[in-house]
Amino acid sequence: MMPFWALFKRDVLVAWRRKANVYQPLVFQLLIVTMFPLGLGAGAATLTKIAPAVVWILALLSTLITLENIFKDDYEDGSLAVYALSGMNLPLAVISKAAAHWCTTGIPVILFAPVIGMLLHLPTHAYAVLLLSLTIATPIFSLLGTVGSALIMNIKSGGMLLSVLIMPLLAPVLIFGAGAVLETALSNSASTHLMLLSGSLVLCLTLAPLAAAAAIKINLE
Amino acid sequence: MNRIVKFYHEMGSPPSFYRITQHWLMPMLLLALGLTAYGLIEGLFFAPKDYQQGDSYRIIFVHVPAAWMSMFIYAIIGICGIITFVWRMKVAEAVMMASVPIGALFTAVTLLTGMLWGKPMWGTYWDWDARMTSQLILLFLYIGVAGMYAAYEEDPRKAARLAALVAIIGLVNLPIIRYSVYWWTSIHQTSSITLTGGSEGIHSWDMLRPLLVMALATKFYYIYSMLTRAHTYLLKTEAKKQWVAQAVSKKSGAKP
Repeated sequence: MMPFWALFKRDVLVAWRRKANVYQPLVFQLLIVTMFPLGLGAGAATLTKIAPAVVWILALLSTLITLENIFKDDYEDGSLAVYALSGMNLPLAVISKAAAHWCTTGIPVILFAPVIGMLLHLPTHAYAVLLLSLTIATPIFSLLGTVGSALIMNIKSGGMLLSVLIMPLLAPVLIFGAGAVLETALSNSASTHLMLLSGSLVLCLTLAPLAAAAAIKINLE
Repeated sequence: MNRIVKFYHEMGSPPSFYRITQHWLMPMLLLALGLTAYGLIEGLFFAPKDYQQGDSYRIIFVHVPAAWMSMFIYAIIGICGIITFVWRMKVAEAVMMASVPIGALFTAVTLLTGMLWGKPMWGTYWDWDARMTSQLILLFLYIGVAGMYAAYEEDPRKAARLAALVAIIGLVNLPIIRYSVYWWTSIHQTSSITLTGGSEGIHSWDMLRPLLVMALATKFYYIYSMLTRAHTYLLKTEAKKQWVAQAVSKKSGAKP
């Protein structure tokens, strides 16, 4: 477990030192959310209707722009090869990377979501489910992100390819997550959506590290 | 050695795969063309009209076989992906990468014919209905596999293994995507054909026959097209090997 924590601490520290990593997704969200009233009209009724989906999609997109770099720097400066050669359990290293990414991107995105919700007049009773659904889903973003990032870390401008690769994987997450908030906003029960979302998290936690580790191994050959 | 085992081993080696399957190309192409001609003429001109949709339903003879192929080919890509990833078999690599553009094409044909069918029936070209959406996502999966391979031009074997990994991930996700997308069911008619025979839309043998013929024709076309592409793939990736020089010189009639 020692290398796990060492890697985790290092990654959080590196991300924290380069503060842009942390606030970039939030600035991105703020910029985009401004465009919605400008394009759609500022009517509260319209915004309330689209709020659950927009808050969710913004959380997803702003995470997406950070994913490319999960492994890229480590691959380029050779530290990834060191992890692999030192006999460290690679899937465990992937989980550590995902955990660090979640702490520096996922948590800020969760905490920022109510602000976006407020700007879009999200119904008050939907906030709890919004926070809960994002808390379950942001680790999924990070875990799937490690898979995408591991696949493209060798490619110069792989951002577009990364989006193509993980968009199909994120589609169910978006359906369950945004669905949960939408159902709550319409005063229905969101428990089915949340359960399926939790199931997706468990599935990602078991399979994504293996897939990412396999991609790392191929790339390091 | 048992003949089947021998055949299996021969198909695993690029030179004998190339040698054996070269004789399959012509028959496959002829079967595909013949059956397509029969299926389309029968389906478009002689099959009875549908009691609800009239003549507009006739696009089914292209739409449904293409939809079947889009799923079938992805399954083959997934299986070849597993073989490529685990055993690093070159022929599986070739078959996998050769299948990607064909599968993507069938997916696109399904979407296009579906849109053309949707306009007269539902009054709209596109609707975010479960089947259309999951078919669109399937197209993204195909693009992902092709894009992954294309990104690593300098090292085709590595590219193939990464593409195989993408294909396997897609294969695991396909059922999840399909079921999650089915959460908003809407206007798409349910399957007209079921294995148990409880068919609602297709009720006469005269309608079903051209459809099944077309399904066979698309399979033969797939085998023909896939083998041609796989041959090119193998010739390209094995260009420095002896057997390629022999095969090429034999084809062009010159001495190696």
